[in-house]
Amino acid sequence: MRTILRVDMSTLRVTSEPVPERWKDFGGRALTSAIVFEEVPADADPLGPANKLIIATGLLGGTTAPNGGRLSIGGKSPLTGGIKESNVGGQLGHTLGHLGIAAIVVEGAAKTGLYSLLIEADGSAKLERTDDWAMLGNYALADKIAATRPEGDRFATASIGPAGEKRLAAASIAVSDPKGYPNRHAGRGGLGAVMGSKGLKAVIASDRGVTGVPDHADKDAFVAATRKFATALREHPVSGEGLPTYGTQVLTNIINEAGGYPTRNFSAGQFEFASALSGENMREITLERGGNVKHGCHSGCVIQCSRYWYDKDGHYKTKGMEYESVWSLGADCGIGDLDDVAELDRACGDIGIDTIEMGATLAVYMESGALAFGDAKGALAALKQVGTDSELGTTLGSGAGATGKKFGVTRVPTVKNQAMPAYDPRPIQGIGVTYATSTMGADHTAGYAITANVLGVGGSVDPLKPEGQVALSQSLQIATAMLDAMGLCIFVAFPVLDKPEAFEAIVEMATAHTGKDWNADELMGLGKKVLTYERLFNNHAGFTAADDRLPAYMYTEKLPPHNVVFTVPDAELDTMYDFVDETAMALQIS
Amino acid sequence: MQIELALFAKLSARYPVPGSGREPRPLEIEDGTRVGALVERIGLAAEPRITFVNGRHAADDRLLAEGDRLAIFPPIAGG
Ligand code: SF4
Repeated sequence: MRTILRVDMSTLRVTSEPVPERWKDFGGRALTSAIVFEEVPADADPLGPANKLIIATGLLGGTTAPNGGRLSIGGKSPLTGGIKESNVGGQLGHTLGHLGIAAIVVEGAAKTGLYSLLIEADGSAKLERTDDWAMLGNYALADKIAATRPEGDRFATASIGPAGEKRLAAASIAVSDPKGYPNRHAGRGGLGAVMGSKGLKAVIASDRGVTGVPDHADKDAFVAATRKFATALREHPVSGEGLPTYGTQVLTNIINEAGGYPTRNFSAGQFEFASALSGENMREITLERGGNVKHGCHSGCVIQCSRYWYDKDGHYKTKGMEYESVWSLGADCGIGDLDDVAELDRACGDIGIDTIEMGATLAVYMESGALAFGDAKGALAALKQVGTDSELGTTLGSGAGATGKKFGVTRVPTVKNQAMPAYDPRPIQGIGVTYATSTMGADHTAGYAITANVLGVGGSVDPLKPEGQVALSQSLQIATAMLDAMGLCIFVAFPVLDKPEAFEAIVEMATAHTGKDWNADELMGLGKKVLTYERLFNNHAGFTAADDRLPAYMYTEKLPPHNVVFTVPDAELDTMYDFVDETAMALQIS
Repeated sequence: MQIELALFAKLSARYPVPGSGREPRPLEIEDGTRVGALVERIGLAAEPRITFVNGRHAADDRLLAEGDRLAIFPPIAGG
C-alpha cells in the first residue's frame, strides 16, 4: 500500500495515511500538482503556513524501471506565484518508493527552531530539532548528517542551504546522489524557500535492508517490460551514446551552431568561447584530471548522463556541470572557462540556489554595469553574498526579475518571473512557445521543443518559423507531464519519440506494476490531467493570457546571427490549453 | 574554393585534413559541390548526422558556396 506522510510543522506531528482512491494512479508530478490544487489556497502566501511542500516519488518509484527514480517536489512558487513542480534526480525518489511512501506533505510552519525529518527503514518517522545545522551549506550539512547515521546505513537526503533558510525566491532543494553528494537540485521556482519557511532543514530517509518493495501486480511481465525499455534506451544513439559520453553538455556546440545559445544576457545567439565550454572539452579535461565521466544520478539509470568535475589538483569540486548551468554561469555571463564555471556551480550548490536563475540573474546584474561581462571573480564574490544578510545577496537570491527591477535593467529574460534557460526563443521558436505557456514559467523541460526544432528527434520543424510550434509544444508538454508522473527521466523521451517499442514498454511497465490496464491514450490522459490541475491553479492565482507571453523586447529586438524576433502569434499561444475544459469536467474540478 | 568544416562530438576524430585538435578548419572543394557529395568524399556518408550550413539546417542537395561553414553533428540531445 502506498502512503502519504503528513508532516505538520506547526504541531511537529508526523502521521501516515493511505493514498486516497482518487489518486491511486498518480505519482510524481501528478500527485504534487493534485495535492497543491486541492489543498493549497490559490491566494496563499507561498512562504506562509497555508502553502505546502510536497515531495513525491513517481508511480514507478522504487521499482527497477530504467531511469524510473526521478522525484517531483511541488508547492506554490515564491518566484512565480503559481504552481510549481521541480523535478530532480538523486536517490531519494527510489528510497521513498522502497518505503512505500508516495508523497511527503510538509504543512504549517514551525514557530521557532530548525527541524529535520527522519524516516527510518522500519517506516517510523519523526521531526528532530537540528538548530545547530542552521546556515550550513549543503556540503557541510551532508557531512554532519552522515556523522549521525549508523555504520553501513543506506540513506538519501533532501536539504536546503542558507538561501532556503533566508527564504530567497531562487532557493533550491538539494537531493543526494548515490555517493551521498548533495549535488542534484530541485532548482526551479524557489521551493528551497518554501522548505525554509516551514523550518525544515533536511529530510533524511533510510531504506537499509529493504528489498523487494514495492510489489508488482505481475512481476514477470514487469521484468520483461523493463528489459524491452532498457534495450530501446541503449539502442538509440542519443540515449545510448551521446548522453552517456558527453552528458547534457553535448548540446553546447549544436545550440551555438544553431545561433540559439543566449550570450551576455540574451544579446546574441553565439558565444565566441562556446568550444571551451563544450561537452567535448569538458570530457577531455575531466578524463585528464581523473574525474568520473559516466554514472547515474540514481540507481537504475541506464542512460547515465551524470559525471563529476574535479579541480586542477584532482579533487571533487562539483557535479559535472549540466548544459544549463554551464550556459547560465558561463556564456550568459560572458564567462568562457570551465573552472570558473565550476566554482560558481559549486557555490550555487552549496548555498542552495538554482543555477539557471542565478546565472541569468548575474547576467542581468552585469548588464546594469555593476560588473563587467566575463568577470568571473566578481561574479563569484557577488554570488557568495547570497544567503548572507547583505542587501545585494538578498536581491540576487530573489532572481532575475527582482534584480532587473532593483538595478533598472529592462532586458530581463523571464516568463512568469522565472528566468529562461539555455535556448533563445527567437531563433528556436518552439521552445519560446513552451516558455510562454508552461504552467511553470520559463522552463525548457516542460516541453522540450529543441527536439524537432534543432535535433531532428521526433520529426523536424523550421526553428525560425512559427508554423507547427504550438502543436509541437502542446504534445511535448502533455507527454512530459506524464513522464514526470511516472517518475521517468525526461531523457527517455528521445528514444520514445523515435521508437514505438520504447513507448509500448512504458505502457507495459505501468500495467504490470499497477495492475491497471494502461494504454497510450490513458498515459497521455494522465499528462493532460496534470496540466489541467496546474492551469486551473494558476488561473485561480490570477494568471491571465498576458502572463503567457515572452518579454516584450523579444518581439522587437533582433537576435544575431540570424537577426530574428519571436513571431508565434498570441492567438495561437492561447490555444495551448484547449483540452483543459474537457479534462476538468472529467476530473470534476473547475 | 574554400569552405570551413566543423565536425563535433565523436565525429571530431574524422577530419579529412590535419588541423588543431577538435577545431574547425578550412577545406578546399570544387565549385558546384553539394553537401551530400562532400559528406561522401570525407567518408561520413554512412553516419547518421545533423548538418548545418551557416547555422541553418541543410539538406544533402544544398549547393555549397565560397566561405560557407559546414557543421556536422552525430545524433545528440540533452537538456
Ligand atoms: S539520464 Fe541523467 S538525469 Fe536522467 S536519470 Fe540518468 S543520470 Fe539522471
